[in-house]
Amino acid sequence: MTSSRATNKVMFWRIIRRLLGANRGRLFVMLLALGAGAAVTAALLNLQVDAKRRLTTEFRAFGPNVLILPKGSSFSGTGTLPESTILSVPRNVGNAHVATASSLFVIATVSSAQSGRSLSAVVVGASPRLVGWISSQSALSLPKGRPMIPAEPICMVGGRIGKQVHAEQGSRLNLTSGDQKETCLAAGLAETGGPEDDRIEIDLRAAQRLADLPGRISTIELIVPGTPGEIQNYIADLQRLLPDVDVRPVRQFTEGEAKIYNRISGLLTATVAIVLLLTGLCVMAAMTNVAMERKMDVGLMKAIGGSMRRVLRLFLAEAALLGLAGGIIGGAAGIFLSIGLGKAVFGVAARPRLIVYPVAVALTVFVAILSAFPLRRLASIRPASVFRGEA
Amino acid sequence: MFLRIVADSFGRRPRHKLLTGAALALGMGVVTAVLSVSLDVGDRLAKEFRSLGANLVVTPQADSLPLEIGGVDFRPVNAGAYLPEADLPKLKTIFWHNNIVGFAPILEDRATVFVNPPSANLNSLRSYDILHPAEPPTVSTVGTWAQHKFSLSDGSSFATGIDKINPWWQVQGRWFSEGLRECLVGQALARRMGFHIGDHIYLGGSGPRVVLQSSLPQFLVTGLLSTGGAEDDAIILPLDVAQHLSERPGQYRKLYVSALTKPEDAFAKRDPKSFTPTEYDRWFCTPYISSIAFQIQQELPGTDVRVIRKVAEGEGQILTRVRMLLWLVTGAALLAAVLAVGASSAASVIERRTEIGLMKALGAGSGTVGFLLAAEQLLLAFVGGGVGYSLGIVLARLLGQKIFGAAPEPSLIVFLVVIALAAGVTVLGSALPLRRASQYEPAPILRGE
Repeated sequence: MTSSRATNKVMFWRIIRRLLGANRGRLFVMLLALGAGAAVTAALLNLQVDAKRRLTTEFRAFGPNVLILPKGSSFSGTGTLPESTILSVPRNVGNAHVATASSLFVIATVSSAQSGRSLSAVVVGASPRLVGWISSQSALSLPKGRPMIPAEPICMVGGRIGKQVHAEQGSRLNLTSGDQKETCLAAGLAETGGPEDDRIEIDLRAAQRLADLPGRISTIELIVPGTPGEIQNYIADLQRLLPDVDVRPVRQFTEGEAKIYNRISGLLTATVAIVLLLTGLCVMAAMTNVAMERKMDVGLMKAIGGSMRRVLRLFLAEAALLGLAGGIIGGAAGIFLSIGLGKAVFGVAARPRLIVYPVAVALTVFVAILSAFPLRRLASIRPASVFRGEA
Repeated sequence: MFLRIVADSFGRRPRHKLLTGAALALGMGVVTAVLSVSLDVGDRLAKEFRSLGANLVVTPQADSLPLEIGGVDFRPVNAGAYLPEADLPKLKTIFWHNNIVGFAPILEDRATVFVNPPSANLNSLRSYDILHPAEPPTVSTVGTWAQHKFSLSDGSSFATGIDKINPWWQVQGRWFSEGLRECLVGQALARRMGFHIGDHIYLGGSGPRVVLQSSLPQFLVTGLLSTGGAEDDAIILPLDVAQHLSERPGQYRKLYVSALTKPEDAFAKRDPKSFTPTEYDRWFCTPYISSIAFQIQQELPGTDVRVIRKVAEGEGQILTRVRMLLWLVTGAALLAAVLAVGASSAASVIERRTEIGLMKALGAGSGTVGFLLAAEQLLLAFVGGGVGYSLGIVLARLLGQKIFGAAPEPSLIVFLVVIALAAGVTVLGSALPLRRASQYEPAPILRGE
């Protein structure tokens, strides 16, 4: 009994080997179809996971999306917070880093030593600068011909205020508020279209000296990465953690982003689903082809007494093997493909996600077995009519 | 005879033809859907990005520097310059007027606010007035447009306003109507001072004017506004009423414009002064944000039109990437569809080896056989492609409706592409097995080997 089962097993694998080896061309076409399917699947799945993550990073180009303000502040800028508040802000959302910056607003008289002009302007003490969208501008350029670490503090001068005081790169500006006085060298001078155009940005310490408010800040700006849901949770957690302050999302960006993110991710999911469907179709067509060619084999097997179940099992095993091979080769190719695609789209190679690989292989095997469905038609084959050359 | 063979082939094995045709139709349907959605998606997404608010801001050239902290301007009331409201309809006459989604002028001021008319008897005073009897609180006021309609030179009318360009502003209640003494109160302000929808409040100008208390205008609170920004602490009024209150008839100070633009490329970032005449025309006739800003500046003299870089650049960057990503995905979908259709048409030719053998045995040349089969496949391709196209349009409508809430328009280009693709793919897919078939010796095939 055991020996007959063992013989059966040996015979089973032998037939499978023969089935696979019988037609090299066909084997190649099948592997190509399955492999291509697996490659496209793996590439798209990987890219989709990565693209969503990248999108949330891209959204950070809009700058801060969460503000921490003194409680009950009527946005008049008069209330202040202790500087130490920033220490209790959690720095991570998932694996991503939350960028923070504290700033203090002071209204001061600005005068330029060169042009002799002076006017009142808002001076912002910031620490550190939030490097977001502004890094693409020339705003961080230092005055020409000066050492990298200048002897005097540098201030970023907004485009419009720069024009009005006739400041140039490197001109010296005097800032006075009450009887406090600071000097700095002008840099930046780019127009951004935002409130920065009308402001001068200096070091936080200098602004605190200017306002005579040591250790105080007006607001903390946060750049919180992540999906809209993650940002909402972060805000709720932060408010619970810091009950003495107001935590507000910058709704202009958080809401707009949520809308756009949902659209884009819906679009990506829909397209990926469609491509998967097509891949299945492709493999199914190839398998139908196989079923047609196998009539003679099946007729013969049935004629010498093979039961339909055993014959079907043979073909299913063949399909699964093909799916496995195609999935392993194609999945690997697809992940490499997605790295290249990620580089083309986002300028940064997509990080390969190992989970995608087994998923792609499993999907391919599943599709291969499912598309062996046309083989069911072989069940109705009558050996005699096949051998007579009919049907 | 040729037609008879083709007709016979369809008539004799309708199920087989149906199967191949179905695969073809399904594949082409997907191609149609993906192509229609992709062609449409750029414009749709660009519109979505307008929910981020204005990307252009217009200010008077002669303006003094605003002393703005957290959305409140600390300038003296008389400082700075103003712009005439009457010029605004000109915005819809610029070359890219169709790309201007909306605009809203802003007139900011400060006003004193009373819950009850100062002459009312003491019993009806709200707690705030009792606690702070000496100085009536000063609040920020914002005069602007909401659902403001004006007619254009071509006879149509255009509605715009702050509600259109700042869709994240949520109003509980309703917007004010223009020309009436109605207002919205910021949520935080309303909570602090105990205002409710339907209340009447009294506003007095903040200027050095002496106002007779009994002549203070009465305003109906029509809604509470929540913006997450400085407006939560302000009172929003119709622009004409605000102008009256600030004694600035027909004037505004700041204009926000929301425009659909093409993401800036290297060409658009160059200085327009360095362009040759042809380059200048190309720049002028492309909806880059810089060329729209330039055209607005030409229409509204004495203004400074600035691009809000934060919004414009972030938008441009993301839009470019998403578009590229979608084209790549579309490419993948097309490739998969082509593979599927090619494989199924290859299968349908392989099936007919015996038939080919018979034809050759009867003296048909390889060319004739190939031509015959190609004709059959093409017929199938046209029918399958056509059915697939209509299927795909339905699918595209579903997808478009689901994702963007609006269905893409069926386009002729997509139809032509789909039919051409169907024909090309089926012929190519059958070419390979046909070439092999032409090498068959009839005898072994007929023997069944």
